[in-house]
Amino acid sequence: MEMSDSTDTWRDRLSDYLDEALEDSERSELEEHLEGCEECRETLVELRQVVARAGSLVDAPPARDLWPGIAYRIRETEEGGRRGRSFAFSVPQLAAAAVTLVALSSGIAWQIAGGFSARQAEPAVPVAQAPAQTGLLLASRIASHDYESAIAQIEHVLDVGRERLDTATVRKVEEKLALIDRAIDEARQALSADPSNAYLNRYLAGTMRRKLDLLRRTAALTEL
Amino acid sequence: MREKKTPRERSKLIEHALVPDTDLDFHDAALAAEGDSGAFERLYRRHVTRIYGLARRMAGPDDADELTQDSFVRAWQKIAQFRGEAAFGSWLYRVAISVILGHRRRLAIHRERTAPEEWNREGGPSHERSSEIRMDFETAIERLPARARHVFVLHDVEGYKHHEIGRMLKITAGTSKSQLHRARMLLRETLA
Repeated sequence: MEMSDSTDTWRDRLSDYLDEALEDSERSELEEHLEGCEECRETLVELRQVVARAGSLVDAPPARDLWPGIAYRIRETEEGGRRGRSFAFSVPQLAAAAVTLVALSSGIAWQIAGGFSARQAEPAVPVAQAPAQTGLLLASRIASHDYESAIAQIEHVLDVGRERLDTATVRKVEEKLALIDRAIDEARQALSADPSNAYLNRYLAGTMRRKLDLLRRTAALTEL
Repeated sequence: MREKKTPRERSKLIEHALVPDTDLDFHDAALAAEGDSGAFERLYRRHVTRIYGLARRMAGPDDADELTQDSFVRAWQKIAQFRGEAAFGSWLYRVAISVILGHRRRLAIHRERTAPEEWNREGGPSHERSSEIRMDFETAIERLPARARHVFVLHDVEGYKHHEIGRMLKITAGTSKSQLHRARMLLRETLA
């Protein structure tokens, strides 16, 4: 079918129209053209379908496990010369992560025990603003028993809601909890090496504050 | 009275709120920067599907495995530069895009000269036959001309803006827009 120059011109602007990238006056002109041009109307519908389809694509994993090849190459990299780089994170950073995580987890546990009020769930100690020494004091004050107690109470919360969750979700949550536990263990090990670093305490306290926020939300969600 | 969530909705909300991957990523990135390959493997497991999807759509299935591996190796080499200002996934994604586009640039002279940009390259249906043969949408994306494919994937699949795409691909925002339109116009044939 032969198309007019006008149709050609406007057809080239249909993507901009879809993306709301046209000036008001140009959009009005295009809409006026659409009223009388079936060709452009059809094209617009099809372009909308393309955009919708693109937005709903689902990623599929690779057919084979690519990790062994990656592991081999990064091992080669390491063996080719230990990387002489300045680390973005260091042992003290990890140490501070462990300190703060322990502190916040304990604080959260007390809030949970107090009835899951998100508004009340403030940390017992303002860790984020605490100087490094406070963090270290916290580290020494918070005994393993306190931490285990906090975790136990959080797990109790999950147990209560567990029957309302499907099996797959429970398994996913447990897997993720296991990953976090492993990260905590590793951070604790690093803590023993060099626990004093003010910058890292502040830095990681901020990170752990995010965790506090997440747990607040979780507590609120159990009421859904 | 508050609207009740379905069990599935509630489960998803709780799962998401409880342990988002971003926090796990942050810990594992810190450990990986210390040389912990186990932590890096956990990052790989959490992100490989998305990176592979990007590589496949940007470069095609033949190169997707290799580019995915290259992307993670590059990320391992550069992880000291990740400082946590953005989500690890976003940072990794940028690394992967750089790797994939670098790969394309290396091949560009050879491939573009031997196979000029055509919709029906590599045996895909020609314009005339498109009504007879309906391609899978993913396959249709893979067969787009390279520049149009890159812009389409980055804009319509990944949600980048034209000015961001322009920086990545070293083109103007206007060129990005015109390539996007070109890609959409070609792809609409697969849905017709």
